[in-house]
Amino acid sequence: MKKQHDQDLLRSDHLIENSSEDDQAHLAASNSIGSSEKNPHSRRKWIHTGKLVLFIISLYLFMLAIALMKDGARGVAPLVRDSFSITNAANSLGFGWLFAYIIMSGSPVAAAALSFFDAGAIDKLSAFAMINGSRLGAGFIVLFIGFLYVLRGRDRATSLSMGVLSLTVTAITYGLGFFLGVVILQAGWFDGIQFHSGALLISAIDFIVVPVTDLLLGILPDWAIFLVGLGIILLSFKLFDKCLPQMTIKESQIGRMSRLVYHPAVMFSLGALVTLISMSVSLSLSILVPLSERGFVRRENVIPYIMGANITTFIDTLLAAVLLDNPAAFTIVFVEMASISIVSFLILLTVYRGYQKTILNFVTWVTISNRNLAIFMVVLFIVPILLLLV
Amino acid sequence: MSILIAVCDKSNAETVLRFAAPIICRAGESVVVLTVIGHGMDNALPKTDIILAESCQQLQIPEIRTKVRKGNPYTEVRRETEIGNYNLVIVGEWPSSRLRRGLLASSAVRVAEHIPSLTILVKQEARPIRSVLFCDSGDKSSPILDRFAAILNDLMAGDGDVTIFHVMSQISAGPGVRGNQLRAGADQLIQEHSPEGEILERDIQKLEHLGVQLHTKVSHGLVVDEIIAESRRGDYDLVVIGAHADEGIRGLLLDNLARQILMQVDQPVLIVR
Repeated sequence: MKKQHDQDLLRSDHLIENSSEDDQAHLAASNSIGSSEKNPHSRRKWIHTGKLVLFIISLYLFMLAIALMKDGARGVAPLVRDSFSITNAANSLGFGWLFAYIIMSGSPVAAAALSFFDAGAIDKLSAFAMINGSRLGAGFIVLFIGFLYVLRGRDRATSLSMGVLSLTVTAITYGLGFFLGVVILQAGWFDGIQFHSGALLISAIDFIVVPVTDLLLGILPDWAIFLVGLGIILLSFKLFDKCLPQMTIKESQIGRMSRLVYHPAVMFSLGALVTLISMSVSLSLSILVPLSERGFVRRENVIPYIMGANITTFIDTLLAAVLLDNPAAFTIVFVEMASISIVSFLILLTVYRGYQKTILNFVTWVTISNRNLAIFMVVLFIVPILLLLV
Repeated sequence: MSILIAVCDKSNAETVLRFAAPIICRAGESVVVLTVIGHGMDNALPKTDIILAESCQQLQIPEIRTKVRKGNPYTEVRRETEIGNYNLVIVGEWPSSRLRRGLLASSAVRVAEHIPSLTILVKQEARPIRSVLFCDSGDKSSPILDRFAAILNDLMAGDGDVTIFHVMSQISAGPGVRGNQLRAGADQLIQEHSPEGEILERDIQKLEHLGVQLHTKVSHGLVVDEIIAESRRGDYDLVVIGAHADEGIRGLLLDNLARQILMQVDQPVLIVR
């Protein structure tokens, strides 16, 4: 009886964690359209239409949020520069890292970094470092959710493995990518790679966004505008989550990640593709849970998946750079993607098997005892704080 | 059973023939020993014939047919299997450079991977088969178990034992997953009727009537690493694995674990497809 109850609990947990699941969309659609329940094609059409509408709304909110953060960044700039003493790349790395811990998301912090750069509050290297830090902070989310499960009495290793794995892969790739990116930015190798938004795009965005921003600018101070923008961007990502075509993966050739061992290049591409749509590594990882009834995935499949996801997770930051209409901001994000890609490809092509074993051994070490876990957690908090204080 | 033995040099021929002798004596209705000689090594031909004759005599192998082909070992063995309709192919490791082995896999490994017959790759001095490590991937649709069961008694010397081995490389995909089975042993998985437990039970049912001692074992970790570790830990004479699905979209998507195992296991490996 208890076992059954636990299984039900697990299923309900999955449902909660994957609220973007098609199941829920199915449910919503069937509730709303009633008669279409008899016709799966019609129901599917409604689901697709619903998701499309949701996508358009979230895209609008994203554009609005960027515009608000751009306008509000000027008001927050003195706070960032003087109160938080964000004056160099190390500070920015730590600041972005801790900021992402606080709001439990990396993308809004990356967008904030670009808006600070646009407002002149931080320089190119600092913006790059803050974006890097934002992703390290975002890697903490899966681990944090794991902690909640441990507190509810679930097994430590099972609950924390994926979080530790994701964070470790991200930390190594981004750590190496950071140094490479700094070299590329300082040498100016990619300075020619810039994207100009174009008059048509700018005027179109102005047409749909400016009336709202003007209204808010009239009633709120700059710093509050920035916070409203931050709130709206978080909301837009939540809505993006609900647009994911999760069932498509489950029904595809790659839907058997719990049983088969796929080629690392295949998993790398899949991770990149899923995150290109979901824009969030933690969300891409949550997609893996319902792929098997028991929520398992072959460990061989996970690391290249996370590595792929870590590259395309910048797509929303790239879009933010375009919306800011700041060509240098675009270059910063491009360098970020390029450096992470170079590091990932080098690992995959040269030392991948050894890297995989080392990472998995490390995950086992971290989750094997409370002492090791405590050391890991202390490092996760001490390092960004130290960077902030440098 | 129609058997092809493919060899190339003296040490290789002796090792392979020594390993194959008991199998030939038990089940070899038709046996062909194919010697492949590389281009420009024509003077090795008479020497090879002598080696084969001496080896067969020493090992008391019944009369066999010999064939010699010149060229690339991989190509020539494949060609022979295409025309010969063999049930079992036993190949020895051919000498090749370390770089080539690392990048492309040796010719013998490639032969083992690609020919349609059951293939045993013999790398170094091997004993008659008494203890077998059967690695089950858990693919229910795979015919590996049936094919292995069909020739088990032809391969085994006396009342041997078979260890059915399954590697669970799964980890929890997310924080909310209940994962007590991610650390469970074979007995617990069978008791709980988990998917892995059902695989082991099915394997036992199919092999128990063959009169061998059966053991079940489940290991948790990376598939290749765990198989290599188990093959070194146990006193096995033969490791049995499924071939990589090298055709179609599945072949492109899946990692070639069979090759990694073939390249690292020291014992003879039977590849079943």
